[in-house]
Amino acid sequence: MEEISIEVPVEPPKEYEWYFIPVPKKFVEEAYRKDEFVVFVGPQHPGSGHMRIILRLKGDFITDVIPDPGYVHRSMEKLAEYKTYIQNIPLVERPSIMDFGNYNLGYVRAIEEALEIEVPERAKYIRTILAELSRIGTHLYDAGILAVFLGHTTGFMYPFAVREFIVEMITRITGTRITGSFIVPGGVRRDVDNDTLQKIKRMTYALENRLKKFEKIFITNPTTIARLKDVGVLSKEEAIKLGVVGPFLRACGVEYDVRKVEPYEAYDEIDWEMVVGEDGDGYTRFLVRVNEVSQSINMLRQLVDNIPEGDVISEDIVAFDRKDIRGSFFEAYGDLVLPKGEYTSITEASRGSLLFTIVSDGESTTPYRLRIVTPSWLYLKGFMESLKGERLADLQAIYGSWGYFPPEADR
Amino acid sequence: MVDVSGIVSGIVEKIFAALTANMVNIPILEPLINKLLQIPLVNLVVAFILWKPAFVILFVPGLLAVTVVLLIMIWWERKLTARIQWRVGPKEVSRRTGGIIQTLADGMRYMFQEVIIHRDAHKLYFLQLPILSFIPVLLPILLIPAGTIYAIRSPYAIQIAVALTALLPIFILGIGWSANNRFAFIGTVREAFLYVAYEIPLMIAVLSMVLLYKSGDPFVIVEKQWIPGIFMNPIAFIAFLIGMVMAAGRLPFDISEADQEIAFGPFVEYSGIIFGLVMGIAYEKLYLLSLIAAILFFGGWSGPEIAFLGELSYAIWLFLKAFVLMGFIVMVRAIYGRYRLDQALKFGWSSLLTFSLIGFFISAGWVIWLG
Amino acid sequence: MVRIKVEKPKVHKSVALHIKAITTAFKEAISPGTITIHYPRERRKLPDNFRGLLQLDKEKCINCFRCAHICPANAIQMYQRENKYYPGIDYTKCILCHFCVDSCPTAALKPSKIHDVAFASLSTMVLPPEELAGEPEMWREDTVTVEYDFDGDLKMIKRKEVENLIVEVEKPKRPEFVAGAAFPENCIACRICVNSCPQNAITFKLQDLQTMVLEIDFEKCTGCMVCIRNCPTQTLLPFRREEVLKGGESDEQG
Repeated sequence: MEEISIEVPVEPPKEYEWYFIPVPKKFVEEAYRKDEFVVFVGPQHPGSGHMRIILRLKGDFITDVIPDPGYVHRSMEKLAEYKTYIQNIPLVERPSIMDFGNYNLGYVRAIEEALEIEVPERAKYIRTILAELSRIGTHLYDAGILAVFLGHTTGFMYPFAVREFIVEMITRITGTRITGSFIVPGGVRRDVDNDTLQKIKRMTYALENRLKKFEKIFITNPTTIARLKDVGVLSKEEAIKLGVVGPFLRACGVEYDVRKVEPYEAYDEIDWEMVVGEDGDGYTRFLVRVNEVSQSINMLRQLVDNIPEGDVISEDIVAFDRKDIRGSFFEAYGDLVLPKGEYTSITEASRGSLLFTIVSDGESTTPYRLRIVTPSWLYLKGFMESLKGERLADLQAIYGSWGYFPPEADR
Repeated sequence: MVDVSGIVSGIVEKIFAALTANMVNIPILEPLINKLLQIPLVNLVVAFILWKPAFVILFVPGLLAVTVVLLIMIWWERKLTARIQWRVGPKEVSRRTGGIIQTLADGMRYMFQEVIIHRDAHKLYFLQLPILSFIPVLLPILLIPAGTIYAIRSPYAIQIAVALTALLPIFILGIGWSANNRFAFIGTVREAFLYVAYEIPLMIAVLSMVLLYKSGDPFVIVEKQWIPGIFMNPIAFIAFLIGMVMAAGRLPFDISEADQEIAFGPFVEYSGIIFGLVMGIAYEKLYLLSLIAAILFFGGWSGPEIAFLGELSYAIWLFLKAFVLMGFIVMVRAIYGRYRLDQALKFGWSSLLTFSLIGFFISAGWVIWLG
Repeated sequence: MVRIKVEKPKVHKSVALHIKAITTAFKEAISPGTITIHYPRERRKLPDNFRGLLQLDKEKCINCFRCAHICPANAIQMYQRENKYYPGIDYTKCILCHFCVDSCPTAALKPSKIHDVAFASLSTMVLPPEELAGEPEMWREDTVTVEYDFDGDLKMIKRKEVENLIVEVEKPKRPEFVAGAAFPENCIACRICVNSCPQNAITFKLQDLQTMVLEIDFEKCTGCMVCIRNCPTQTLLPFRREEVLKGGESDEQG
């Protein structure tokens, strides 16, 4: 079919100027001339989360896309400059609260690097358990969101029901359902009793049992495969070029996992495998995370079995009870001052590499600058790239397959 | 001088006689009906209600049955889906019965909700089309008999009924057009695309059964089913079932409504009781097709007669069969996600069409074999 | 390394997957793995370390301000009551991180299992210390407590009991401290410590025209360290109580 193009001066609608959106005038004018549509998806659209995606459509196909994130920006980095180091712990887990274990851990590791604190073995294991629990929880959450984007209500309810097991275990460890704030410099706030540990192990079997049903009804459901297979493909080269991270990078065939490359905590003491995909399409991105859940289950069992006895709070911290921080929290962390310098930690959060950089002036109890680079922000570009050339109806499927989480990206 | 009162009473008597000649016979209600028939004027109303064509429209399988379907089926769908999804489902409204009147409560809430008509809507069509959509729902019911209770007997009853139900999407298209909204527009276009993709296999499946029974008359069809039609031609049943799921906009194919993508498509602008009406359209269509399926594949109203219900027992059997079939179809929602439009179209035009054609050939084989 | 490569399923396999999905749904419809708890009538059993609303034992509070200082959300405000200060909590801000509970040296601030609360208005969410003690006015409909346990699958243990939402907490393991003048030569006799002491344990006496004597009554001192934090010249430092009592005298001149 011949392309129709009209060479008449086109004025984009006046409303576009009021919207205060990052759309160049040329983008709209070109679309008008080429008989294309400019479609705004979001931020209140049921399928897009708190984010606006500006699409240029040719018929049903997406030709160009501009993301407009920032609707849930909370200026976390600036807020952190007004709070003491320890007060920032609840703050830094807010970008993605279901993933609190990894966020907490990343920030605390940066502090520990600055203060050169040696963490007791048992605390390391408990931290790893928490990180893996929240990893499973986040992957399940993303699977549920993906399912609801595909209109599969059972696929939404099952992961959220199973997530309740995870939340139950997190409640037993930390005392709260999601916002743990449990990992503190030099260890964890409280020791975990043996009863809870055994319960975690029992929970993993129940989890596996339930996930089998989830697999039958959603993961291998032909409608799921039809919607996700060969949709939103991102090649290996593109993924590397665009700086995609985490399971989404591994889905494109790149073997990179911070837990393997620079092992922290107890990751090098247990036996687990990196999950790598090949095709880089939506279904692989989903399956990589599904397989990571089973790896995490495997990890949890090993961690529970091999957990050493001992203290959970480091000797370098002023604490009167090395099993429980209660009663000495203020003495230990009330006036934490980091030596002058810049400290960075890289953590494998559920959705990818998470970077914390603390800049300290060496005098004050608050950070001079706290930089948080979240995985969702890092793979936003890859996400946008994978949308190009796909159908409009696939926007939701691709969105779900990336597990994009606006609060995490916007911080 | 003309005796006006005499003429009027004569006409009334004639009407009364005509109505009573074709009345539904329900033994259990006989004493009450006889007593009511003694009272002047009331007897006319009672006779009209029990007049078979009126009875078909008003009760089973007409308006009352449709209301029961809407109230119970939506509750049942929610309850069953919840059970599969490890939840409980509606419970708090009338806790002892498991929240069975939840839909009624929702309906009442809709009644008191403001109906918003936005500025861009074509007001006239926007309001009247949801109500007009009852026409293609109620017309086929005239042609669907329940045992001896029937309105119109025709050798083409099934064909006409299916053709009339196929009119429903036209009203949905009209609704989408009058809403004048982007999402409604996309949804309407999707519905228009799908319409042809499912209607043709559905028709072929129906026609193959009509070919098998050599008649479109429901009475002949029920009579000829020495075993239920589903065993005679299972392929046609599968084609009909999938076509039915598509036609009713149930989940793997609820592409035109797709709440996550286009926010209920054509119905996006509706609110209040009108929204309740448009959401009922899909269930009404499902009910009609289930009735047709019950006649074509499950032996219609044949079943052990319940003595005290008299003629009503046939209607009850037909209704029950349709109801059970619907009960299974609403479960599909818990099993599947949504296909994309092009996938559904591809499926409709290739697999489903092939299936229905195979069903047609099986029917032809039966006809040749049985002679 | 786990490598994932998925081919598009062939038609027969696709049909098998359809059947698998449908049978799973039917199985669940017949014997569902329901995990719902009928909340107001049943209540989930919570662990003792659950981080719910805070409880304050005014008797134990030593007026040390630690909770107010550590609070990441600035939710704790100290209220003056008869020359002493007690924490009151603003639940519009509180994030229930329980840093304050972990900071409290005497277990005066305690956790509880109460988490489901509703306030009539925003102003009632700011609780003064008096309202922090004991169970708030609650409308409890629950008669059953459900505990999650796992035994291959989820096992919901239902007990016909009403859980006590108030938790008893022991005093944390912690040596007792008292304030002592470690560097008396620094003292400039500004009397900030005297004014700040909630126990009135510090007194100044004029010995002669040149010297003032700072006296700390160790019996009264609770080790709240307010004076130590307030001292502009770092004259005072905490000492362990047993050490000090052994050492005896610590009155110093300034």
